[in-house]
Amino acid sequence: MAPAILSVIAFLALVVWRFVFAGAHRRPLTRAIAPRQQRHSDFLAEGPHILEPGGAPVIADGLLENGADDLDRLDPEDCAKRYLQRIAALTGAAQMGDTYVLDVEKTRFYVRTRYVKRLRDTADPECAFEETCFYPLHKDMPLAEEIATALLQLKNNPALFDKWAAQSGAFRADGQAFRPTQ
Amino acid sequence: MNAKILTFSLRGDTTLLEYDPATADMEEVNKLIAEYEAKTGAQPFDMATGERIEKVTREQNEVLMVHPIAGG
Repeated sequence: MAPAILSVIAFLALVVWRFVFAGAHRRPLTRAIAPRQQRHSDFLAEGPHILEPGGAPVIADGLLENGADDLDRLDPEDCAKRYLQRIAALTGAAQMGDTYVLDVEKTRFYVRTRYVKRLRDTADPECAFEETCFYPLHKDMPLAEEIATALLQLKNNPALFDKWAAQSGAFRADGQAFRPTQ
Repeated sequence: MNAKILTFSLRGDTTLLEYDPATADMEEVNKLIAEYEAKTGAQPFDMATGERIEKVTREQNEVLMVHPIAGG
């Protein structure tokens, strides 16, 4: 008889625990989702306007939609590594350990996290290495994407290396100086 | 298939704009890109070729806005 009573008590305790604690966990999740849905409908109601850097994607007038699919992305680091591999392939850069070797005509760049080395003329045995550090102005990106950014820019405009080495501020991909207004 | 304007972000990427290239007003798309560029310094690159582009056309399905770099 006693084991039967104990089993009933244990069962009832389990039922109470499930309702009390499972309910407590569910409520914050609902609150977390609610503002996102509110934001989405706000965007749909607005007209075209400028996008916020690093902020939420913006909708414009039915023509443009936000990247809601991106909100649920699980692993940003994997995503960043995939971009880096893709951009390395596009630019023809070869990976050697943590360094990406990029050839642009006669010049060879060795790009790794926030650091780039240049051999100006690979055919010239007297040519010495030059090196400089770099960092993207937009801080909110994984390190793999910082390398990808440098590869894309150097492939399109190898003279950027000299601007970075001069340490005279930030430069856009076209080589123009950029000073943020905010 | 929709076209996307992306940028790198803490989440890996952020879709800044998404539109149907067949019907979108490309002048409006380029105007928004120009506004974003003026504010952040980021410039558009075609993710099919890896090349910087002056204007986005209907042929580009994926464009990456690449942010400025400083030497340090």
